[in-house]
Amino acid sequence: MIVGDLKPLAEIVSAIKEYKQVLVLGCGSCVTVCLSGGEREAEQLSHELSQIRHYQGTPPKFEVGSILRQCEEDLVLEYQAIPAGTDAILSLACGAGVQTLADAHDPLPVIPALNTTFLGASAKPGNWTEMCRGCGDCVLAFTGGICPVARCAKSLFNGPCGGSQNGSCEVGLDTPCAWAMIFYRLKRQNKLYLLEKIRPLKDWRPGGAAGPRTRVRIGLGDGSK
Amino acid sequence: MTYFRVNEKCNGCLSCVENCPASALSFNDEDDRRTLKHNMTKCARCGQCWRVCPQKAIEFQHLLVGQWDDVVTLDLIRCQVCGEPLYSTAYLQKLAAELDSTREALCPQHRQRQAASKWPLVGPGKTKSKLRDK
Repeated sequence: MIVGDLKPLAEIVSAIKEYKQVLVLGCGSCVTVCLSGGEREAEQLSHELSQIRHYQGTPPKFEVGSILRQCEEDLVLEYQAIPAGTDAILSLACGAGVQTLADAHDPLPVIPALNTTFLGASAKPGNWTEMCRGCGDCVLAFTGGICPVARCAKSLFNGPCGGSQNGSCEVGLDTPCAWAMIFYRLKRQNKLYLLEKIRPLKDWRPGGAAGPRTRVRIGLGDGSK
Repeated sequence: MTYFRVNEKCNGCLSCVENCPASALSFNDEDDRRTLKHNMTKCARCGQCWRVCPQKAIEFQHLLVGQWDDVVTLDLIRCQVCGEPLYSTAYLQKLAAELDSTREALCPQHRQRQAASKWPLVGPGKTKSKLRDK
């Protein structure tokens, strides 16, 4: 899932203070589940931003809404009403949602309330950990299901660096060394031979280095037939 | 409660069934009747059915904003002084078992007052001057 963090309040205030009426819009998918951008957070943020102490002049007027997904243009155009008089949208979606809204309602300014942070998983309630960078060329089949791109601080491909200490990464004792995890899992699987195979250099073009990635699926929408 | 709803324009063409990525739509042809079926637990609410429907028959808003379903209704215990709802009878039984005793049904405010009234030095009606006189 996409994990996001609320931006510092001062940064949000600075971005919206010039407007008179702002729609604070939550997104009902990933950022709802990771407790950063759902309907509840939109209500809380609107309440906080309404406090006059944040402004030197008159605060904007706030409306609150939420839609299942902000990242689908036809859905937001059809089902998310923009109240009359709205002169900016404060979106609690990920960057995909913010940009979709901005395209859908061009030229209405759409301001992000979150920093979109990572693609992560939740191993226990309330915790999310980065697991995937969307590199477009998955290597998990020969790294024991542990991603060296996302989970090694240096995204190394050929084993741990010298900073690996007793299973921890040099960036912090709380950060496990991805390559230590890879090694010991492959050892438990009796598959250490996977590490001995010489592999070609990683091609980063599918990971976004060749420009924004798009996909057309045959059978849906304009991709049909 | 049916969240997936179609209007009178639906002609049973099954475009939605064929294009549902989550296999959440199905149909049943029996005798002379065709029934469109939806399984909410499979549905990803992705909206592909709504997009592909050539009849514009799918009322997707019911999958975006729905009603509240009653899940369970339990007997309620209220504060015996002010009537504020506290917890369910079943919760009280669990609490009594955990504490090995029963507590009077009081809200936090009235429990605090009751506790204070048992301690005469700070009980209602006592003032510092009266305490000094003793």
